[in-house]
Amino acid sequence: MAQSSPLDIVLKGSSGQSTRGLLRIIILLTIAAAAVASRLFSVIRFESIIHEFDPWFNFRATKYLVQNGFYSFWDWFDDRTWHPLGRVTGGTLYPGLMVTSGVIYHILRFLTIPVDIRNVCVLLAPGFSGLTALAMYLLTCEMSTSPSAGLLAAAFMGIAPGYISRSVAGSYDNEAIAIFLLVFTFFLWIKAVKNGSIMWGALTALFYGYMVSAWGGYVFITNLIPLHVFVLLCMGRYSSRVYISYTTWYALGTLGSMQIPFVGFLPIRNSDHMSALGVFGLIQLVAFAEFVRGFLPGKQFQKLLTAMVLLTFGLGFGGLVLLSVSGIIAPWSGRFYSLWDTGYAKIHIPIIASVSEHQPTAWPAFFFDLNFLIWLFPAGVFMCFQKLKDEHVFVIIYAVLASYFAGVMVRLMLTLTPIVCVAAALALSSILDSFLTMGRPDPEALANAGAEDSKTLRSTSKPVVGIYSFFSKLTVSASVTVYLLLFVSHCTWVTSNAYSSPSVVLASRLPDGSQHIIDDYREAYYWLRQNTPDNAKIMSWWDYGYQIGGMADRPTLVDNNTWNNTHIATVGKAMSSREEVSYPILRQHDVDYVLVVFGGLLGYSGDDLNKFLWMVRIAEGIWPDEVKERDFFTSRGEYRVDDEATPTMRNSLMYKMSYYNYQSLFPAGQAVDRVRGSRVPAESPQLNTLEEAFTSENWIIRIFKVKDLDNFGRDHSNAVSFDKGLKRKRAAKKKGPRVLRTE
Amino acid sequence: MKFWSTLLLSLSAVSGVLAASSAKGTYQKYQSLSRSGPVSLDSAAFEELTKAPRDYYAAVILTAMDVRYGCDMCRQFDPEWNLIGKSWNKGEKPDDLKVIFGTLDFDKGKTVFQKLMLQSAPIMLLFPPTAGPYAKVKADPVRYDFTGPMSADQMYTWLKRHLPERQLPALNRPVNYMRIVSTVTVLMGAITLFTVLSPWILPLIQNRNLWAAISLIAILLFTSGQMFNHIRKVPYVTGDGKGGVSYFASGFQNQFGLETQVVAATYAVLSFVTIALALKVPRMQDVNGQQLAVFIWAGVLFGTYSFLISVFKIKNGGYPFWLPPF
Repeated sequence: MAQSSPLDIVLKGSSGQSTRGLLRIIILLTIAAAAVASRLFSVIRFESIIHEFDPWFNFRATKYLVQNGFYSFWDWFDDRTWHPLGRVTGGTLYPGLMVTSGVIYHILRFLTIPVDIRNVCVLLAPGFSGLTALAMYLLTCEMSTSPSAGLLAAAFMGIAPGYISRSVAGSYDNEAIAIFLLVFTFFLWIKAVKNGSIMWGALTALFYGYMVSAWGGYVFITNLIPLHVFVLLCMGRYSSRVYISYTTWYALGTLGSMQIPFVGFLPIRNSDHMSALGVFGLIQLVAFAEFVRGFLPGKQFQKLLTAMVLLTFGLGFGGLVLLSVSGIIAPWSGRFYSLWDTGYAKIHIPIIASVSEHQPTAWPAFFFDLNFLIWLFPAGVFMCFQKLKDEHVFVIIYAVLASYFAGVMVRLMLTLTPIVCVAAALALSSILDSFLTMGRPDPEALANAGAEDSKTLRSTSKPVVGIYSFFSKLTVSASVTVYLLLFVSHCTWVTSNAYSSPSVVLASRLPDGSQHIIDDYREAYYWLRQNTPDNAKIMSWWDYGYQIGGMADRPTLVDNNTWNNTHIATVGKAMSSREEVSYPILRQHDVDYVLVVFGGLLGYSGDDLNKFLWMVRIAEGIWPDEVKERDFFTSRGEYRVDDEATPTMRNSLMYKMSYYNYQSLFPAGQAVDRVRGSRVPAESPQLNTLEEAFTSENWIIRIFKVKDLDNFGRDHSNAVSFDKGLKRKRAAKKKGPRVLRTE
Repeated sequence: MKFWSTLLLSLSAVSGVLAASSAKGTYQKYQSLSRSGPVSLDSAAFEELTKAPRDYYAAVILTAMDVRYGCDMCRQFDPEWNLIGKSWNKGEKPDDLKVIFGTLDFDKGKTVFQKLMLQSAPIMLLFPPTAGPYAKVKADPVRYDFTGPMSADQMYTWLKRHLPERQLPALNRPVNYMRIVSTVTVLMGAITLFTVLSPWILPLIQNRNLWAAISLIAILLFTSGQMFNHIRKVPYVTGDGKGGVSYFASGFQNQFGLETQVVAATYAVLSFVTIALALKVPRMQDVNGQQLAVFIWAGVLFGTYSFLISVFKIKNGGYPFWLPPF
């Protein structure tokens, strides 16, 4: 150590610190840039377009906000959805996302940057993912003293596919900003617990309020923070720090969350929020007991006090149970409850069970979304047990709970990803810290040092020595580098292949390798926009409601908001019944056009016939006597669309619309459905009450117009057979006066 | 119009009375037999019960209770069926609404199964009355589909739909006093045991290693898809159609029980090696021993990770990455 190299000036002493600080900032900015850049695949490949389903509604709402101002957005009653009911949109949405992009839009306009609101919406998610990486750095730095852990966590978070899946450019959904808020709120909470300061507690509450305004997943925070405090109390770790931070957060945060109309009085009336209230009560009791304990001399008194606290807590708990049984406190909301009782949703709320992202997660999905973080994760959690400070308890609880949730529901992978990144960074940084140092330990000096901390894990009871051999260091660092490189390539591959498709525009490869764009959705929606009257009502399955509202700008019957099960079941019934039953339903709901998605020609598997059983199931839930799932299966229990399909199936409106005239594309008797891989009946189904209005290039979208009542008062089947030139059958003598069938 | 319907009604009532004279005996016979729960029927009794002029509903479950037939659903549903029968017989119901609940076991009623050409069990048939105030024009039995959960509630709502809209007895699950008492006893026993043994138990509960092990096992189980197995009830392994065993399910959204255990074990090995490299190796005093440990652990890590990726490649055919050995 005698000679000093010129590098020492920048690496040591006070200038060394500022050099490191600068490097750190540069690295963080690079990570943020990488996070943004890796989410731009879809914009580069396709164009700046809003993706999927829900984002279309958010986009439409944002446009409304920007055009009409905040107050009219707040009171927005939307009569162009859920016809004829309408929807109190302003009071039934989480406004955080729209308001955020509205504010960004107005700031940019103020700075005289002429930006389109659509581009703000498309690029919001990548922008916030850069912020998430920074928040992740802050959170992880609170967990570890290692300088590399935070940077690693930020890098992991920036490119982990589990988070990218919901935040690519164009994926303008609540999660886009919610994950940043989640991580940042947790960072503030840890800060508050560590310092016991009202300021940090209030900041936590502020960002918690923001989170409540942005995403329904705020319930996760509402339950995780009380659980953290509860476990700390059980471990006998009550301190004034915990008291101050929790009470500040709870009081301010609850008040803040109640300002959102959609949330309203839920925080004091709903079981999902009761754990926060319960822990709030408990911590008052414990604080009181701690306070009194100081004045009590005898051991007996102290025992009495503990008994008092337990008794009061028990009574309070019993009271809560009583209140929820008697119905004053609403029972668990279905969505949340179905996480615990995994069979619940399938029986009671088929709409929730029908959504593919609510299915349980098979193991490949974990590896796909997290790659090697998934096995660093348990190691990192284990390392948290080493010191087990208050913040480490938080990591452990979060890790166990979130991995349970992610196992039950695919979409909750999103809440697991942040903690996986923290834990994996802790594990990896502790490897790198010991293997990436130049210094060689001196065995003599260390032999004298004893164990410093007796209260720790068995595997870490001996003192740290260090790594002697250069080869060991080289081996481990080289293999870790390989894993990291593999991770980066994996993330890039996954993002580019799996998560960057807008699903509104489909891409396929031609035999020569060039890209072929399938743009049927937009073709059909623009057809609707240009060829139908402004208030033509479109009926489709609820998946396409938001897109029709956003792209075609036409009123719809049901959409992805799914707030009214009966209305959805009505659409399901219309789709799954005979024309004679469906037509009155269509008339009663003023339906002008019916839109179906059909993938048979192209082999597009996400079409309506594959979702058809869910329509049947949901309709059966309301009209068990009229729609029966059993009737759609053959006697051998198969779901078929070919010649052996059941009569109910072949007469259903959905089946008829899907295959109407499809046979004309093929030589006689050779029509094939490429999704279900079966031959379609040679004869085209006959539609009496609908007429084909539009079919897109690849037949993915078919639109049918609902016929008006016949001018001569005939029923539609007679009219159609008359037009075809068939001889009218002598109708049997009718009894009673003619009536239009309604119901 | 009104006149005709009145006439029709009175006519049907007359015919009902005429028919009931023979059927009344049947109803009372079986009603007396079914004081508590459904009547156990055989072929002859089934024929008699479902004979054409009847002024009562007959709800009969055709089941195969014997273990030989391997009908799990039959055995599972039997207590629920008894519950329905019992609730009905004990409950408050309209006087003129007559329902007989019966159970026909395959052993006693093979001929009935053959006559109705039934291949599977359980099957519930509801025979509407052909006479009396609730007579139906279509006397064919209605068949209940055993889809969804095997619960009495499900079937009872179905029954209510098919019976006339009257005040019907509610489904009454008996309170299981035995269970309450035993729960309370066990709970109090546990509390007592805990207080008595607390000097020994407390250190165990406060043991960090124990909690670390529990958390890690929980995390490994959840991240290897155990919840999927639990919810979807996937098979443990299946044959590959050629007499062998296929350990890994084909397809990205599918898995077998054994497969998840293999994956969980792989994750566990990888995590353990990471912990060893990060925590144990830097604490080794011996220079050569440490060198050896590093090489072994790094080798195991590399090999296992390579194995994991190769397993993942089975699930996702298009996955382009791999590591050498596998």
